[in-house]
Amino acid sequence: MPPRLNITTLTRSIAFRPKPQLPSPARPWLRPAPSQCRLNSDSAKTAAADRSKREDAKPIEHVSEEAASMAQTMGEQGPDLSQGTPIEDVVKGDKSAQENLPKVMQDKLNSQAPKTTPNMAPKGSRSYSTTTTTPADGNGGPDMGIVDMRPLPEVPATPGLKFEMPSLPLPRDGHIKHRYDPVVEQVTNLLMRHGKKSVAERQMALILQHLRTSPIPKINPARPLLPGAPPPSHLPLNPIVYLTLAIDSVAPLMRIRSQRGAAGGGVALQIPVPLGQRQRRRAAIQWILGAAAKRVNMGSGKGSFAQRIAQELVNVVQGTSGIWDRRNAMHKLGVAARANIVLPRKR
Amino acid sequence: MPPSTCLRSFAQLSLDASAHHGIAPRLLRHPTACFSTSAVRYAAVVKKKGLKAAPKKGEKSLNTKKGRKAPGGGDMGKRPAQGERKAQRKRIVLSNDNALNVSSLQDLDSDNVLRQANEGKVMGLPQANPVDPLKPSTVDALRAVEAFKTSQGWSLFRRPAVLMMKEAVQLAGLFSEVEASAAGAPKKTIRRILCGERMSGKSTLLLQGLAMGFLRDWFVINLPEAQDMVNAHTDYAPLPNSQPMQYTQDTYTANLLQQMLKSNGAFLGSTRLSTTPNPPLALSANATLKELAALGMANPELSWPVFVALWKELSLPGRPPVLLAVDGLSHIMRHSEYMSAEVKPIHAHDLTLVRHFVDHLSGQKKLPNGGIVLGATSQSNAPTSSALDFCIQVAEARQKTPDNVPQWNPYKKVDVRVMEALKDLNSDSSDFDIIKVGGLSKEEARSIMEYYAESGMLRHQVNEGFVAEKWSLAGMGNIGELEKASVRWRL
Repeated sequence: MPPRLNITTLTRSIAFRPKPQLPSPARPWLRPAPSQCRLNSDSAKTAAADRSKREDAKPIEHVSEEAASMAQTMGEQGPDLSQGTPIEDVVKGDKSAQENLPKVMQDKLNSQAPKTTPNMAPKGSRSYSTTTTTPADGNGGPDMGIVDMRPLPEVPATPGLKFEMPSLPLPRDGHIKHRYDPVVEQVTNLLMRHGKKSVAERQMALILQHLRTSPIPKINPARPLLPGAPPPSHLPLNPIVYLTLAIDSVAPLMRIRSQRGAAGGGVALQIPVPLGQRQRRRAAIQWILGAAAKRVNMGSGKGSFAQRIAQELVNVVQGTSGIWDRRNAMHKLGVAARANIVLPRKR
Repeated sequence: MPPSTCLRSFAQLSLDASAHHGIAPRLLRHPTACFSTSAVRYAAVVKKKGLKAAPKKGEKSLNTKKGRKAPGGGDMGKRPAQGERKAQRKRIVLSNDNALNVSSLQDLDSDNVLRQANEGKVMGLPQANPVDPLKPSTVDALRAVEAFKTSQGWSLFRRPAVLMMKEAVQLAGLFSEVEASAAGAPKKTIRRILCGERMSGKSTLLLQGLAMGFLRDWFVINLPEAQDMVNAHTDYAPLPNSQPMQYTQDTYTANLLQQMLKSNGAFLGSTRLSTTPNPPLALSANATLKELAALGMANPELSWPVFVALWKELSLPGRPPVLLAVDGLSHIMRHSEYMSAEVKPIHAHDLTLVRHFVDHLSGQKKLPNGGIVLGATSQSNAPTSSALDFCIQVAEARQKTPDNVPQWNPYKKVDVRVMEALKDLNSDSSDFDIIKVGGLSKEEARSIMEYYAESGMLRHQVNEGFVAEKWSLAGMGNIGELEKASVRWRL
């Protein structure tokens, strides 16, 4: 006799959970930290910070008020302060004063001047964005890698517990499997060959030590790093930020997928595909590792590959690496092929 | 004999005609001098080059030259010169410009170096000579005697600094003891073997001892790596009139004289020769010891007589105490890699320099002006020397559990000479003992971790919990592991 099929248990055993569409976790130097200084709050000002009572901090008087006080000193009839004095009246006929007016008022004065070209993009800006991390909140400065510098918040004692409650948030390196920075972990895993993780970790430590002892990098203005990056003098003391900055600065925004048979005529259609943050980093790390492997080995011994990787990272930050050209070429191709993107039709 | 063999032998004759000059012209008049013409007739027609048919479509051909780079293209940059790679590998870097300057760091000097109150403090090694800034400082002297090692973490910090652990303070106490006995008639010779776990700071403690010697104006002789003396990488020669046969290492001794000249130059330059060297050397009557050492340095074949003459000078009354030090002791407690004329391995104690050191370590000879003999063992580069290991175990047990001293395993091979040299470790004399290095206390761990944090190498608040965590991760305060856990691996 065949066993009876229990429909309720069958449905229960299928674990179907829709994958939550969460954005990738917020990353390194934009951590949500409670701001100490709230600029727009009026109650937080201390007495020493309030300079409004000081003579030199007071605003300059209005032209009419100045004229009125001057007239009072001279014993004459000044302008009427109950009514406002239009600036146009003040500067009327005064050519030198008109030149110092704000541009809006100058334009208003000579309204017969022709209008400039509308919707012109400001010069010197890229047509696409190169930012890797979007600031989640306005006040998140770069993470300087200082762990647990703030005193942990006090947790009220709960009666009946054998051990005291942990204070939240848990420290960043509290979990043994996630004790390293995600970027460091990703680079280590990509360095690993034949499953030898300890060798890869030793190389990673050598890379970071090399970054630590290397001189302060000179930033090339033609190759701008991420906006909001710490000044170059902070980088060697904080090798993880150095590494992250180098990787994130050259990380490509998209990859080019070649779709065969879509373009016709035997030509593959090139379709740009956006990459997630981890994928972008992976591409950048692979480029850096490839460039380091191609460098000439000038030393001997175990740590030479790590040294070459570290030199490549320094070159990336200084803007002398060929990876920048590679990234820019990929972005250019992506911009050229952007018409090939087929977006799902909206209803 | 069958005729075919005869023909074949004739044919053979023409083929190796070059060996027989007499018959060669006759036989080689025609190229087909063999009695057979078939070879010529059936010879394959030589194809013209370049007429090879193109490979068929889809057919793969093996191209062995494919992987090779074109000359001048690709990865053909200038290679480093000979010896450059090794120099880069062995380079000692003592400063890191990125590290922050620790303002509270106090320097060691001749007054405070032996002070017991230093225990648990991190002290800087002086980088400038306090008397004359042009003269070599302690750091220069330590560098000259190769006391810094590449495996140590000097390159991470702004300037070299050491933690005065309790063992260093103990060593400083020995220095004070010897100096106190300098006035009395029996001058003390104290001998110590530094032993302990791997990365527990034995070589650094030896370096601290050398720094104390330099700061207190002792005469310091350091054999930086015992392995270099016995691994047969330098030349050796039998010492004439020695019974049993001993061997000198001229190049090594000349190099050692150079190191002594660099590190102890002030004393050597200011002291004049007062004994006549035997055999006589080409020196003026009132030459300084510096000229004597320079003579040995320039002529390696004279280096051993010069060393002996220098040692005789140092043994005169009124000369400074001597610090003799060696790192990697187990290398010189076994047979060396050198071979005698009978192709038998030479025992390390038959090399003159090693014997000189071992005689003073075993107490067979005394330092006439007092002094300290230090030998540091190694755990990462140590060949088996069961006699040395056993003697250290016995000395350890005598310190901890005097009623339970281990016995020698009779089934093990014993090196009698080593056992003889180290037998004093199993006696009650306090002159020869071991110093067990390792295991920082939590206060010492906190002190060094605060130094790391102030240098900017450790970006964490140094509080009690953090120190306790790293202290236990580092095997209850092994200082090398502590540095790894708190500086290198805090990724």
